[in-house]
Amino acid sequence: MTSATVSAPVATPARRRRGRRRSLTAWLFLLPAAAFVLALTIAPFFQAILMSFQEWDGISMETPWVGLENYAAVMSDSEFWGSMRNVVTFGLAGFFLGNGIAISMALAVNAAPRARAFFRTAFYLPSVFSVVVVGLIFRWLLEPRVGVINTLLESLGLGALAHNWLGDPATAVPAVALTFVWYHWGFAFILFLAGLQDVPKELHEAASLDGALAWGRFRYVTWPHLAPVTSIVSLLTLVAALQIFGTVQVLTNGGPGSHTMVPTLRIYNEAFSSFRYGTAAAMSVLFGGALMALAIFQLWITSRRSGR
Amino acid sequence: MTPSTLRAPAPRRAPGTAEAPPRRPRGRAPGLTGLYILLVVAAVITLFPIFWLLSGSLMSLEELYSGQSIIPTTFAWENYAAGWIDGNLGLLLVNSLVYSISAVAGTLVCASLAGYALARLEFQGKSIVSAILLAVMIIPAPAMFIAQYKLLVTFGLTDSRAGYIAILIAGGIPMSTLIMRSFFASQPRALEEAGRIDGASSLRIFASIILPLARPGLAAVAVIQGLNVWNEYLMALVLFDTDALMPVQRGLMSFVSSETPQQTVLLAATTISVIPVLIFYLLAQKQIVQGLGSGAVK
Repeated sequence: MTSATVSAPVATPARRRRGRRRSLTAWLFLLPAAAFVLALTIAPFFQAILMSFQEWDGISMETPWVGLENYAAVMSDSEFWGSMRNVVTFGLAGFFLGNGIAISMALAVNAAPRARAFFRTAFYLPSVFSVVVVGLIFRWLLEPRVGVINTLLESLGLGALAHNWLGDPATAVPAVALTFVWYHWGFAFILFLAGLQDVPKELHEAASLDGALAWGRFRYVTWPHLAPVTSIVSLLTLVAALQIFGTVQVLTNGGPGSHTMVPTLRIYNEAFSSFRYGTAAAMSVLFGGALMALAIFQLWITSRRSGR
Repeated sequence: MTPSTLRAPAPRRAPGTAEAPPRRPRGRAPGLTGLYILLVVAAVITLFPIFWLLSGSLMSLEELYSGQSIIPTTFAWENYAAGWIDGNLGLLLVNSLVYSISAVAGTLVCASLAGYALARLEFQGKSIVSAILLAVMIIPAPAMFIAQYKLLVTFGLTDSRAGYIAILIAGGIPMSTLIMRSFFASQPRALEEAGRIDGASSLRIFASIILPLARPGLAAVAVIQGLNVWNEYLMALVLFDTDALMPVQRGLMSFVSSETPQQTVLLAATTISVIPVLIFYLLAQKQIVQGLGSGAVK
């Protein structure tokens, strides 16, 4: 930065040339990354918008223009809107239950004098598994006849509570939500724990000397320090819940009926099972747009807070 | 403001610490027990599903369906042999390894070059590039995957290793570039200036001075991206039809749904697919945890 600002006012031809050559070097450094992102992220992003006004069967080269037909189809697609409602439920479960567990456990581990590393390793462990593995594990746990959840209930004399958890519309959504919470809270936990370790110890000591109780210390010392972590964790939890796909596909494939359908799975099915890529693109524009609006809102909040 | 608040309690702490030892142990002992009960319960709930996977994978089919045992009475290792062979896991794991290594290497090259340019080089349009980078970060996969598929159809790259790797590299670049940029920005300038005075080119300075010093940053990006790529599922599902090309997540799902293996074999195959990532996690835990922090908060 210094050299450019210094050379600007003088601007002899030789210096300008050197500035241009430096610019060229920088662009060469950027080129590989820019090529990948332009071709495979930015172009498809706009292509998806274009596709949402077209029809495509997945094979032919023909993509006739259909105007707003795809959007009209999506508007009356109750399965898609139901799937939106489901992911909001998962998001709320992750937000309140998952983050609640995460922050409690982060406080607990942070306060524990021993075995911190063990608990940290254990709590983050589910997060390194793939969606397929998590789906297969929970499909087996929740299996209606010999799944361990039902077997345990029976051995505790609570056989009446044994249930086809994933097959009953009333329990399928909570079952998927709890799977998501089990899978995801460790990620929030790690970020909270890192945040807690940045809280200056002196502040806590000063507060306890001033007579603050544990709750007061948490409320007025720890919590304000965690605010940036809390906001980023909230966003990441919400975004992860809204985009949930593989876990659901493996656990229930959206069933029973479409009671546990999620938008990404709905989009996938519309394209790759029904071969209506245009409608699928319209769905992904609406759903992706909502996700991006959420992220922009979050960025705006964060920048406003740091601007103060 | 911070220095004063930090310094203020310091003189007062001396009498406080003298006072504390007799008070604290008495007040904390029952609390500490409660704390550990809470932590152990949470750990049991977290680890039980994984234990149950392992346990089931080692039972005979009769024992598994009897629902009577928690731990297998005799270890049925043949489940693992069957899972390995029927699930074609050797090939799937090699595929995943190839995809992970290529995608991570590609991402590292692109992200370190771009991150360095954004942190250290001067050029016109830098602020626009930074803004675009942030914008690209928030484009979610569900918004693009249909169009990405169509793009790869156009170039005949669906169901191919190259197409999948390219998608993975593009997906990893934005966050990795941000991490590398903040890493380079925190490094001292003295060495590269010495290189510049010696007349070395930017690329030369980058390759022989900057990169070797950037190893911690590169390692953080590599472990995070490595995990992401190993666990990637959506694009693998969309792009691959040929079993022999599939990464392990996709191949495992294909095995489960098309062959409907015995439950014990399925559990064994699932366990095998988890072992590499488990070893990786236990070895690279520190970098993963640190990388998560830097990736998420920046």
